[in-house]
Amino acid sequence: MKVVEINDVSKTYHDTEVEVKAVNGVTLSFEKGDFAVVVGPSGSGKTTLLNLIGGLDQPTGGEIIVAGHRLSELRPSELIDFRMEHVGFVFQSYNLIPVLTAAENVGFIMNLQKWPKEKRKARTDELMQSVGLADRHNSRPSQLSGGQQQRVAVARALAPRPEFILADEPTANLDSKSAETLLDIMEKLNREEQMTFIFSTHDIRVMKRARRVITLEDGRVISDERTNGDE
Amino acid sequence: MITSIAWKNVWRNKTRSLTVIAAVTIGVFAGVFSMAAINSSVVQRINAAVNEELSHIQVNNNDFRSSSDIRDLISNPDEVISVLEKTNGVTGVTGRIIVRGIASTSAGSTGVEITGIDTGKEQQMFTIDRKLIPGTGSYFGSDTKFNTAFIGEKLAKELNIIRYILSTEALSGLETKGVPSSVIEKLRPLEGQRFTTEKKFSAAYSELISEREKKRYGLTIKETAWSYREGSRIILTFLDLNNNQTGAAFRISGIYRTNNDLFESLTVFVPASELRQLTGIGEGQYHRLIARLENDDLTDGVTPVIREALPEYEVMNWKEIQPDLAMIADYINQIYAVFMVLILAALAFGIVNTMLMAVLERTRELGMLAAIGMNRRRVFMMIMLESIFLSFVGGVAGMAVSGIVIAITGRTGINLVKYSEGMEAFGYSAHLYPVIGAEFFVTLTVLIVITGIVSAIYPARKALKLNPVEALRGE
Repeated sequence: MKVVEINDVSKTYHDTEVEVKAVNGVTLSFEKGDFAVVVGPSGSGKTTLLNLIGGLDQPTGGEIIVAGHRLSELRPSELIDFRMEHVGFVFQSYNLIPVLTAAENVGFIMNLQKWPKEKRKARTDELMQSVGLADRHNSRPSQLSGGQQQRVAVARALAPRPEFILADEPTANLDSKSAETLLDIMEKLNREEQMTFIFSTHDIRVMKRARRVITLEDGRVISDERTNGDE
Repeated sequence: MITSIAWKNVWRNKTRSLTVIAAVTIGVFAGVFSMAAINSSVVQRINAAVNEELSHIQVNNNDFRSSSDIRDLISNPDEVISVLEKTNGVTGVTGRIIVRGIASTSAGSTGVEITGIDTGKEQQMFTIDRKLIPGTGSYFGSDTKFNTAFIGEKLAKELNIIRYILSTEALSGLETKGVPSSVIEKLRPLEGQRFTTEKKFSAAYSELISEREKKRYGLTIKETAWSYREGSRIILTFLDLNNNQTGAAFRISGIYRTNNDLFESLTVFVPASELRQLTGIGEGQYHRLIARLENDDLTDGVTPVIREALPEYEVMNWKEIQPDLAMIADYINQIYAVFMVLILAALAFGIVNTMLMAVLERTRELGMLAAIGMNRRRVFMMIMLESIFLSFVGGVAGMAVSGIVIAITGRTGINLVKYSEGMEAFGYSAHLYPVIGAEFFVTLTVLIVITGIVSAIYPARKALKLNPVEALRGE
């Protein structure tokens, strides 16, 4: 089942009289359960593509359809609700809410979605267990290591059961052990919850684990390969 | 959840938040306390006007207030008294005979208003008897051999009834009142000398002590040297009902002291019976009938009822008799509000600055919140709540501190005796007992919340304008 459809999408920036085509005529689709990475050198358009898929930015050309929604037809306020309902984000710098505990961070989006308290707590407990932080419910982000914070971020993204997770360089700030642990967890969740993961990365460890590698160069897809992953 | 995050966000930078909270606390305290002090002055003046001078409602012959003619008596006093006594809210009624005249002693004379009163009833309705200066006699003694008058300190000074004598006992008494012995020694040359006026006495001791000592101990020296010979007399001269000049010597039964110099210098109380004998005004006849109400709040409601019942008389309440006082009383709340708004507006700039810093510091976080689905309304609400919490915590602390200080100074009083001459000339006390109504704190709470909301608008708009993609890059 197609989760994301990208049809001839372009994104052009007009900075200081120079026209920059960050994404140039990309056509792709992602299936439910994909564990895909978008790779490419710096400036190749990886982050821009992820922002477009996630509804954080609007394309200057083409069309993106996510879970039946044509993103170009959504107003800004509808895009915010769309992101809350359908997309999970994992950022390079974790970006947890520093004043909330790990469990509160995980429950945050469910809270915005007004999940009942018991249901929210059960899902939070389940995910804290899955990411190996069952004993750190009440820890603030500042009391967690980088790897642990990123695991909380993954749990937060996954909690409301979005259509897919966008992870922008999720291992970039992690040491290799933490990165491996995080990837183990994401693979497990991908398997167990049939959650679609779309990464952008430079990290060879992530590429090795991916079952699909999309390579971008100058905003264009130059290869789209399916692999078995390095398991 | 948004409320909880906003509250926690306030305490992310404790030093900064506490600085703003302290500024709000101090600002609110300064505003509330100074207003309580101003308010006390007005409340005390109103209480004095009602309890010592006017009472709540007065009924006069229609012409009396403008003519002051002794013949303008209330034509049917029994009917008026009956109407007043039957009116709901009235707790007491008394009548006064009022004649204009001249009070004189061998040292001088001055115009006065001689007020003939039923002393027993007046004691129930007024508190002027409690203003008797200790050691000057009594309100009205039981001695009926002589005509008696109860006069104000200011009039006594004008008629040189009060003298200033630094007797040996007075000088030694100064030490117990905290005047240093070095100052007492400087005053020794004045020992036993008699001064007929305060001005002459002040001039004499001012030559002996320094300016600083005068400022510090002058009032104590004057109070200690203050001397009055009990039983002194004044001559009161006035016209009788037939327009013939009449008068008599009145023994001073006692001297009263209020905070109103004009009232003190003008009003001489005498028993109505004595004035009737001298003027020929018959028993039961009055120029003015005065009604006391259960409480001041009834004044505006009861006045028209009495006015309607007594259309042929002039019916006035204290607010109409002293409109300046009524105006201050009426507008004091509005003055408070304007004053408080100005203080809070100044504080708002501090809150705006703090909130702006908080928003700019959290650019990336706000971008993340927008990215994961926190809509504009929630972001706006979060920033606004943070601002409200900041101002509210400071406001509550300021109100608490104000409440405590007002409670303490309301008992101990604030001594502004340095300005007593100026204040008492206008009828205001130099001892302030700060007081403020509970309703003011309610208004203030609302104003503080509004300050928080208004202060949040600009920072919140800044937060809403953030582009999540740019904000997430962390610029």
